[in-house]
Amino acid sequence: MEQLETFIVESPDAVGAKTTKTLIQDVLADLSLNRVIGRMKVYVDPVQPVFIFTALLRLTTPAIRLKDFAKVDMGTLGKDEVKIELQREAFTIKLLNKLWEKYGKENIEQRDKKIIIVKVDPLKELDGMKEFVIDEPRQEVLDRLIDAIALRIIPEGFRVRKHELSASHVMFVASEDTLKPEWIQRGKDMLESLRSEEDV
Amino acid sequence: MFEPVMYTGGVYKHGQMVELVEDLGGYILQKNVMQTEVVLLMLVPIDDMAIVEAKAANLLGKMTRAPLTGTEIATVAPTLAYHHLPHLDCDVAEFLRKRGAKTNMVGLARGVGKRICQLSAYERDLINEHDLAVFILGNYEHCIIEKSKKLYDGIEIPIVVTGAPELRTEDVPNATAYVGSFGRILHHLRHSEELRTLDKLADVIGEVLDNMRKELAKDPPSVAPVRIKKEIEDQVQEIIDSLHPLPITLQMNGARVKLPYEEYHEMIENIKFVEGVTMKEVANVLPSKMRNFILIKAKPKSETGFVI
Repeated sequence: MEQLETFIVESPDAVGAKTTKTLIQDVLADLSLNRVIGRMKVYVDPVQPVFIFTALLRLTTPAIRLKDFAKVDMGTLGKDEVKIELQREAFTIKLLNKLWEKYGKENIEQRDKKIIIVKVDPLKELDGMKEFVIDEPRQEVLDRLIDAIALRIIPEGFRVRKHELSASHVMFVASEDTLKPEWIQRGKDMLESLRSEEDV
Repeated sequence: MFEPVMYTGGVYKHGQMVELVEDLGGYILQKNVMQTEVVLLMLVPIDDMAIVEAKAANLLGKMTRAPLTGTEIATVAPTLAYHHLPHLDCDVAEFLRKRGAKTNMVGLARGVGKRICQLSAYERDLINEHDLAVFILGNYEHCIIEKSKKLYDGIEIPIVVTGAPELRTEDVPNATAYVGSFGRILHHLRHSEELRTLDKLADVIGEVLDNMRKELAKDPPSVAPVRIKKEIEDQVQEIIDSLHPLPITLQMNGARVKLPYEEYHEMIENIKFVEGVTMKEVANVLPSKMRNFILIKAKPKSETGFVI
């Protein structure tokens, strides 16, 4: 899919809008968020003052669970062990950290590059361990997105903020003064117009 | 009076230039050797400029006026957050440094917003210790004008403001000069257009400083700042061991000495000049707001009645 199909910065101050557009491009490039945002509309009015940021998101990757990249099975007969046989090594470090955190270092043993033994009761733990979430790229992307919008794009003085964040869209309304309902409504309208563009 | 100039030329025989300037009573402030090229920042007595220029032509070097030489400039960002730093502020500071000024970066604690911005007493005093302050502001005309109405409260030195819109200086309240095409930029300035904007900023600052020099010449300081620098270097041994960048930073009518005030102020006050006067007779030795450094401000001729 094309990246950034709509990218509009509206403002009564044309020069300001142009510089803000460059600024947003820089931030998105810095935090590699270009592919995450599908359509974006920003409205700035420095006289009011208000800053409205709306965007439709394209989050793709779901959470990565242990069963996605490893075989989880009973260990040696008669011992309380779970055997994890890795099929891809990419997540080993994250996996080990998570296992250490959950079961304690003394209960984890890595016999081989691809075999990890966890000393717990397999009857209780086996099923849960298969679903163990190792990596959440989506959460990480959302964190970066919040970093970009709240900490870099919205002017620093605009400290009164309202936001809406979901897997499909993001909306930020920020101002120096108390937020007016019509600003929030404007944000919602902007989101609607983005959605209708998407549907066409 | 001295003329601040930059000499760029080959390393070969550049010693002749150094000796000539020193013989004429001028000063070499900085010498940078880059492979086969040398850059000298120097102060040349204004009456002897022709001789030095002739020498430069003889050595096939280039002389350019560098009005930023021997000044200390504060580049002020509204805060230390990612909104303002590092790119634009560092680029401005670095660029002015290349032109011969010493720049200090100041990040304000509560400089954000057009309604809520303010300057603390400490920040104000610290900025006032410099020769000139560059305030790096943002993208919107309205915000720059509103903010300028109160942010510079109590600042007595000239203020140069930068921002995105092209405004006339008269439209920006309390500013000595305004330079446009900057704004809140979150990338390293490297396109030719952006570099030209930086050039323009340096030129504007140079003009402001030249005007200050003209004002200062009407009632000149009793002792030239570079003379203060030289005497301290000759008489205070410890300055050689100071690891601070530019242990003695020149200002237009004084100098900042990077030694602890409590221990050294008496020693510096009692420095003797060959003319027979001591430092405290021609200058005020004050504690600086920057760490515990010493700030020396030369007394004007109208106060002492003489110039050495």
